[in-house]
Amino acid sequence: MSTILSRILTSFVLMVWGTVLTWFYFSGKVQAYLHPTFQIYPAISGIILILMACVVLIFGFPECCNGENCAHTHGKLTFGRIFAFVILIFPIFVAASTSPGQFGATAVMNRGYVDNISQLPGAQKALAKQQPFVEPPLPGENPSTQPKPSDSDNYLPKNAKGQLTLQTIDLLYAAEEPSMRKDFENKEVELIGQFMPLKVKNPTGSRFNLIRMYIVCCAADARPVAINIQAPKGEDFKDMSWVKVVGKAEFPLEGGRHTPLIVASSIEKCDPPSDKFLY
Amino acid sequence: MIAAAWFNLSFGDFCYSFMSILLEGIPFLLLGTIISGLIDQFLPAKLMTKFLPKNPIAAIFLGAAMGLVFPMCECGIVPVIRRLVSKGLPLSCAIAYMLAVPIVNPIVAVSTYVAFRGQGAAEMTTLRLLVGYSVAVIAACVISRIKMKHILRPEVIESFQKTSTANKSTATGAGLLGMPTRPTLGKGNMIGRLGGAMGVAVNDFLDVCFYFIIGASVAAVFNTGVNQEFLSTLAGNPALATFSMMGLAGILSLCSTSDAFIAATFVSFPAIAKLAFLVFGPMMDLKLVFIYSAMFKKRFVLGLAIGLFILIGVICIKLAFLQL
Repeated sequence: MSTILSRILTSFVLMVWGTVLTWFYFSGKVQAYLHPTFQIYPAISGIILILMACVVLIFGFPECCNGENCAHTHGKLTFGRIFAFVILIFPIFVAASTSPGQFGATAVMNRGYVDNISQLPGAQKALAKQQPFVEPPLPGENPSTQPKPSDSDNYLPKNAKGQLTLQTIDLLYAAEEPSMRKDFENKEVELIGQFMPLKVKNPTGSRFNLIRMYIVCCAADARPVAINIQAPKGEDFKDMSWVKVVGKAEFPLEGGRHTPLIVASSIEKCDPPSDKFLY
Repeated sequence: MIAAAWFNLSFGDFCYSFMSILLEGIPFLLLGTIISGLIDQFLPAKLMTKFLPKNPIAAIFLGAAMGLVFPMCECGIVPVIRRLVSKGLPLSCAIAYMLAVPIVNPIVAVSTYVAFRGQGAAEMTTLRLLVGYSVAVIAACVISRIKMKHILRPEVIESFQKTSTANKSTATGAGLLGMPTRPTLGKGNMIGRLGGAMGVAVNDFLDVCFYFIIGASVAAVFNTGVNQEFLSTLAGNPALATFSMMGLAGILSLCSTSDAFIAATFVSFPAIAKLAFLVFGPMMDLKLVFIYSAMFKKRFVLGLAIGLFILIGVICIKLAFLQL
């Protein structure tokens, strides 16, 4: 293989990889794949790879070689360098162009739902620390005028209609923590999540799962956090489509433990939130 | 129908998982290859041997602990150890470092402690480091008795011979797409050496990236296609739980800095099975099988995988009987 062709192929591969990595970062697509801590790394790597590609293309290397002197493994693959070139380019090209940016129903079913907070990373620690925060009184302020920890109206987020805007994970925590449960129970809440049909423990057929994906590192370790929704009628959204649910939060005893259940008054399709994951 | 129960794959899920593994792993792989290039150009060959104990077993013990000072992710370790071996680090010592470094390092110790808080964090962290270190030392001691030609790919041995010659005169090799690998160590000005380091880094990156892509694609197939609840039915039996958790670690191919957060969530599994998950995964998983193949013979990688699977399984089951 001529030196010029080798230089062009190497530079091309580096350029493709660098472009894909930086494109994922600057287009914001990376948010659908990585935890925020790791999102900057593809951008840095992409820029380095593009710089490397330019250097290789413009300057090459000090010395050239032929196939017999190849020190790396792939130079001697059965199908040679063209095969290696295809492996380096084709999969990332296909995956980058066809990846849906979220898991479908098959992967979610294979991973199994997280419907108990103890199945989530760090949950034990968070539950142990579950003490309501109360700011100390200012000098001259009467401590009795301070909001009490149970005054959830003072610190829980609400929408314009005064409904609590929660995440699926909040309700799983509340199921295990009595003081949190008290804050949410029988209150009107609004949740956004992905629709998945409920195929077990659903005798009337009117329940479904509302899920959000929880990640620690990247989408490959994502786990679906699910809560049950009691719909006013049988709902038939597309699997994993984004829906907004408004309803009353309940925590009935099912299987010997409190289980979060939203008795929905309205369910409608909606756009995905800016951040699809829970962390 | 049984096959459908435990395996069901969607192409979209595969692409998504594959892409996320690439986006997470490639930066660390690139970091490893850049370090590899810098080692090639700036680390004198004699320096390694100067600081290593003369006794090969003592060198293995030291090599397995090097991660405490030089932490490294498992994705980027192969180019680094390839370069270290070419610089004179004994192969067994390098393998001890390769197997131990994703576990025996401060970042993983902290992440394990945080992930297992409330579930015996100190015990789990200590056991993970100790078992990881011991397994790496045992494996490296066994490997030290095997001839290099049975371990390394012929092309890699050839490249080491060239590097050895290069330290005396000049030598080059070709990378994946035919680019030369390295000018001579220590020759030329700083820019020349940095250019040489980049040349090595580029070729090492392409070389390992080739295997990483294959490994990531296999991992993505199993990561999204296997029904993980199928494995949880094995949780009741300590031996089955231990081996099934190791199998899961192999399939999921998680990063060692974050795998503890996943392991901690398998509440139905005994602690010792989670320990097996945390020790086996960083040493051998589907993507690592292919990354290791960039340097080692396929038969050796297969033997190492089976050996580690049995060794870690037996150690963890023994620990279970000791009620640890």
